[in-house]
Amino acid sequence: MNAIEIRNLSKNFGEKQAVCGLNMTVPMGAIYGFIGENGSGKSTTEKMICGLIIPSGGEIKLFGRAHTDADVRAKVGVLIEAPGCFPNYSVWNNLMLQAANLSIPNAEEEVRKVLKTVRMEGAASNKYKNCSLGMKQRIGIAMALLGSPALLVLDEPINGLDADGMRIMREVLVDVTKNHGCTVLVSSHILGELEKIATHYGIIRGGKIIREMTAAELDASCRTYVALRASDMEKTKTLLSCKYLRVEEDESECIRVYDAESPEEIVSYLYEKGVTVSEIGTDKIGLEEYYIDLMKQKEGR
Amino acid sequence: MQNAAKLQFESPSFFKRLKGMLGVDFYRLFHTPLFYIFLVIAAVIPAMILGTSGMPGPDGTPTPALYTNTWHIIAAKTPLYIVNGIADYANMNMVFIFGGIMVSIFIGHDYKSGYVKQLFTTHAKKSDYMMSKSIACAFAMACMCVTYLVGAVGAGLFAGTSFKVNVGSLFFAILGKMIMSLGWASLYTFLNVIFRRYFGISIASSFFFGTGILIIGAAAILGNNSALNIFLYGSSVYACLSSNILTLIVCLSVSAVWAVIYNVLGSFILSRSDVY
Repeated sequence: MNAIEIRNLSKNFGEKQAVCGLNMTVPMGAIYGFIGENGSGKSTTEKMICGLIIPSGGEIKLFGRAHTDADVRAKVGVLIEAPGCFPNYSVWNNLMLQAANLSIPNAEEEVRKVLKTVRMEGAASNKYKNCSLGMKQRIGIAMALLGSPALLVLDEPINGLDADGMRIMREVLVDVTKNHGCTVLVSSHILGELEKIATHYGIIRGGKIIREMTAAELDASCRTYVALRASDMEKTKTLLSCKYLRVEEDESECIRVYDAESPEEIVSYLYEKGVTVSEIGTDKIGLEEYYIDLMKQKEGR
Repeated sequence: MQNAAKLQFESPSFFKRLKGMLGVDFYRLFHTPLFYIFLVIAAVIPAMILGTSGMPGPDGTPTPALYTNTWHIIAAKTPLYIVNGIADYANMNMVFIFGGIMVSIFIGHDYKSGYVKQLFTTHAKKSDYMMSKSIACAFAMACMCVTYLVGAVGAGLFAGTSFKVNVGSLFFAILGKMIMSLGWASLYTFLNVIFRRYFGISIASSFFFGTGILIIGAAAILGNNSALNIFLYGSSVYACLSSNILTLIVCLSVSAVWAVIYNVLGSFILSRSDVY
């Protein structure tokens, strides 16, 4: 059984088609990284999964049941955009109100537990409006964790977080999936962070999933390259471009050769041409570059 | 969080859900200055009307007093749907106008803060939301009726107006109006659900319907027709100083029927449209 199964999902806002024929499968226990450009339909899809937006067509199943089923909804924790908190109430009160809405027995204990999970025990008495953006995001996660959810739907949860906040968020998400069997659907533009935790990916463009894969599949499809620095970079680039099909200079002013057999092959070739290599190594393109490449391909660039 | 193998899907019963949601709404009600501000407003209105009635005009001559009996600011002597002057109109029914504004702000805050988003992504049903809001806001308006009564009595003592009344009828009139709070609260909750994205329109529409202008207009055509009692404003007017147990039954029936209608319509609209 999959945690989320979506078939032919569509949503129109008047003439505008925000999501069209979207298919998506999120296995149970996965951390599913949901990636796409602004306006690609990520948030709309997440809102439909959460029952905030009514689909124009298609089907959403959560744990094999209709997504509107109240029993299944009781097991879904959500953080869409910002947490829905009352600014003048304390963090503790906001969480207690949500616990009351969820009819959680032992609400105080549960609230204490989720505050501890997101390392916010010390800020429980702070007014929500006085919390920093990062704290608010963590409160949102705490709120989503109330009621022992089996599925977490998180829209850009790491936006505005500092390095420590991101680390905590990573640890929380890994903990809930590994130790508690929770499934996480998380969208983010910070692909480097997503790459550290995601087990599955879905890439959305123009309201459609254009690629779905596991982290292992991504790893396999990410090409390796040789990165190097040499005494004369311009000459080196020209020379390498004559021998190899894809030679690029990256932001860190390294030359990347994508179709070389080995670094040694390049070193000896450049040595023959009178160029000295000062630094050389192999690396793999990450999720971010893979995503950018894919987008370029789709745009026909 | 649960292991996949142990996943159990079970949502709380209707009463548990409603209890939880009512708990939140009443907590919010008692912890918002808005509620207390409107309680004060409800007390000040009759005091202002009675206190300024009969005061000297710009030329120095005293204007005729609007009320000689304190209880007329609570309700009219007989059901008067046709309004000939401010004295026919200004009574406890004005609580429902200000109550409408309070409900609009209260519910508007649900959307502004994102609380509804948090609520509707859980097991909460749209009908639970309508019901909870209607009950909490009806309670708030009933409290406003009480402070209005206190304000009226205080102003009557200050202005020295008569307190002569049939106590039974007064009791039925006040209780009738308090019962009407449920119908009015449901109407305002419904209006705020329709105009949830437009806060200004929510307030304006609540004010418009709260004034009872449509019923007053209908009365101008139909005359002082008791058929108007089937409407919220009609029944609110019907709860007057000649009330009896029948008045109470009419108020209870009309208020309950409209509450059900508005709750069903509101739930329908919420479940058929994008919430957030």
